[in-house]
Amino acid sequence: MPATMNPMRPAPGAPRPYHFPDFVRRELPNGLTVWVVEVPGAAVVNVHLLVDAGAAAEDEAHGGVAALTAQLLVTGTARLDASAFAEATEMLGIEVSSESSWDSARAAFQSLPQHMTPGLALLAEMVLQPRFDPGEFERLKAERLADILQARADPGRLADEMFLRHLYDAGTPYRRLSAGTPESVESIGLEDVRAHHEVHWRPSNAHLIVAGPADPEEVFAAATEHLGAWQGSGPGHRTFEPRASGGRRIVLVDRPGSVQSELRVGQLGIDRRSPRYFPAMVLGAMLGGVFGSRLNLRLREELGYTYGARAGFDPRRATGPFSAAAAVQTEVTADALREMVGLLSTVRDAAPDDTELHEVRDYLVGVFPLRFETTGGVAVAIEPLAVYGLPDDWWQVYRARLEGVGADDVLAAARDLLRPDDYLMLVVGDADKVRAELEATGLAALEDAPGE
Amino acid sequence: MPDIPIQRARLDNGLRVTLSPDDSAPIVAVNLWYDVGSKHEKPGRTGFAHLFEHMMFQGSKHVEKGEHFAHIQAVGGTLNASTWLDRTNYFETVPSHELELCLWLESDRLASLLPAMTQEKLDNQREVVKNERRWSVDNQPYGTWDERIQASLFPEGHTYHHSTIGSMEDLDAASLDDVREFFATYYAPNNAVLSVAGDFEPDAALAMIDRHFGSIPANPALPPPPDMRIDPHIGRELREEVPDRVPLPRVYLAFRMPVFGTDAFEDLTVASDLLGTGRASRLYRTLIRERQLAQDVSVFPFPIVGGASMFAVWATARPGVGPDQLEAALLDEIDRLATAGPGDAELTRVRNLHAAAVESSLERISERADRLSMYACLFDQPERINTERSRYWAVDGDRVRTAMNDTLREDNRLVLTYVPAEAPDSRQAA
Repeated sequence: MPATMNPMRPAPGAPRPYHFPDFVRRELPNGLTVWVVEVPGAAVVNVHLLVDAGAAAEDEAHGGVAALTAQLLVTGTARLDASAFAEATEMLGIEVSSESSWDSARAAFQSLPQHMTPGLALLAEMVLQPRFDPGEFERLKAERLADILQARADPGRLADEMFLRHLYDAGTPYRRLSAGTPESVESIGLEDVRAHHEVHWRPSNAHLIVAGPADPEEVFAAATEHLGAWQGSGPGHRTFEPRASGGRRIVLVDRPGSVQSELRVGQLGIDRRSPRYFPAMVLGAMLGGVFGSRLNLRLREELGYTYGARAGFDPRRATGPFSAAAAVQTEVTADALREMVGLLSTVRDAAPDDTELHEVRDYLVGVFPLRFETTGGVAVAIEPLAVYGLPDDWWQVYRARLEGVGADDVLAAARDLLRPDDYLMLVVGDADKVRAELEATGLAALEDAPGE
Repeated sequence: MPDIPIQRARLDNGLRVTLSPDDSAPIVAVNLWYDVGSKHEKPGRTGFAHLFEHMMFQGSKHVEKGEHFAHIQAVGGTLNASTWLDRTNYFETVPSHELELCLWLESDRLASLLPAMTQEKLDNQREVVKNERRWSVDNQPYGTWDERIQASLFPEGHTYHHSTIGSMEDLDAASLDDVREFFATYYAPNNAVLSVAGDFEPDAALAMIDRHFGSIPANPALPPPPDMRIDPHIGRELREEVPDRVPLPRVYLAFRMPVFGTDAFEDLTVASDLLGTGRASRLYRTLIRERQLAQDVSVFPFPIVGGASMFAVWATARPGVGPDQLEAALLDEIDRLATAGPGDAELTRVRNLHAAAVESSLERISERADRLSMYACLFDQPERINTERSRYWAVDGDRVRTAMNDTLREDNRLVLTYVPAEAPDSRQAA
């Protein structure tokens, strides 16, 4: 018996309103800013301590010291050695993370609600009385150096690193990974870690974010008890003006025997406080941020060249990169690159039609409540307010700002922010197999570059 | 935490339904498990179950190619699908007022996929999947590890012998006839579980499900499950060394183990956490921190149900450390735990980590829906979602020791070692 199916998309029900949860914020006398987002009934609580001690704050001669400092913090306190600290936290069901990006360092944990206060006490002990054990320092430094080798063996991670290397000029810190290069990490001594911590891990530079079933007054009291004795102010991050290293060109990194080529095409994008932020988010999603994006539809669903293509802006405190990316089989490398560059160029010719604009914009608007389903998602959402000083009503007006982006705004953003004369086209693949065809594309002059 | 509410139903055509309402956020998750995975593939068609999953996004009678994604993303939803050894799952999370959109899309492709299938679409997705294989396996350092472990732990003829991604040759051989046959055989309501979790009203949802799925006919001739019976042990040690484009050697140990759902599987899950979860775990403490032989370690049992499962351990050597030294250290730590058993404190440690991890996972309604489908599909017991914690906490030191001694034996292991290959610079010019 054949099934009788409804041919029409069913009409939606009545939407239930959703608002980003309210937060309360208080500055402690030592300058530490505490944010609490109470989520009644949540099963877990998330605690994030953010400090303006990321790679943008570090001494450029010792690039990677911010990351190494953050990692070394979890290897114990004056009272507890590395094993004892791991046991003390994990007995509470807590795995403490500590890491650094360009714009901040973050020590964090997630726990059952009843373990939040003892967890916070251990987190505070780790930050205020770090052990900085010489043996643990040497171990983590060696692991970091080995990890760089491992990352460069992975073609996708190698392409990401080399894209930044060739995109930014020699004076721009962003031309390296925030965790450093082998040369810069090699130069780091334990005294550099101590100095970075001493100077930058200070409460006036720090934000404590708590999201979960936590009473704000109890969080303020716990923060005061465990972090109130922390003192001092730090210089914070440096300011710099990122610059591109050169104009339009193809850079080919040889990886002999590769059966795919990793492609990256892009240029300098925007910073986090750019007035073009919302149009840029829509533009990025339209090019490569949703399944039906222009790059993915063409390269995957029409041509079958790749498992997936993506594109987008990576806004940072200073101008971050814009990039499009795909891994394509070796045989179609040149044609895939031509397609990518073509799509990044034609988006500047005409405004998107209503259907396309709606699909992309409505996705970004509609996905809002899904992003904040977990307390971890809520805590992460507070971070840009703390780090970049975005206005308190950021998430209250966020959807309206997105909805205000029209087709003309997207076109204007494409014309302003995408500059074909600047495109860096980075290819990691089997150079002997792809070089001649890449040169024959006539897209740009080709230079060979080492993959290290 | 209080139990997750579960309401069960079964449509006349055999579709099993589990519902779990929670109105804390205005979102809803839909999840379908089809009881078909790569273990159901026939010889010469490895990779087909996964290729077929891709075809499920190529349109159906009332949905054009690409529209499934477009419909869901345009309402702010997220979606995907995945294929593994035992099953194929399809899932969406959307704002709750669009629940019916998900049910309509899922039912349309279950009712009427074949009219939309064309050779062009198949050829396109074949290329996409081959690029997925290149990306995740062939062009990836250590990328062949799971394929090699499966090929060694399960003999030829056993359908866990081959990987879910399949071989290039078999992908090339797949035809539209295969698509028709696979769909007619396995994509039937009586071979599936549909779960809904999140913000919805159960009676209304059930009526909607019946409206969209109720008229889809069952397959009265579902094939019996493949015969997966196998000896619980390999019977000897197997060794394999693979030169690869990697900077550091990596050692994998893999063992045949009891299947997911058994008490022994639970015992070995606890053993895996004692060995490898957290910085206070035995392998992290000794191999990474104290002896500094390893860069990283990982230990995990595979939650699969066909005849036997796999227990895998891997560690990457620190520069200057040989794979033999690393292997000996791994085996030494496993033996120490298997011989003396865990201490009370370390059992408490992994139990507390597990309790927090369960709560954290189940914060997401998509995860709730997926686990409900999993437990209903594999064991016909969706309520197992509420006993994850008690089953784990029931494992004591004696059970850990017994299970480790039964499973992590020399005559039941594969030692798979990746070593840096000679630089390919010396290769002959073509």
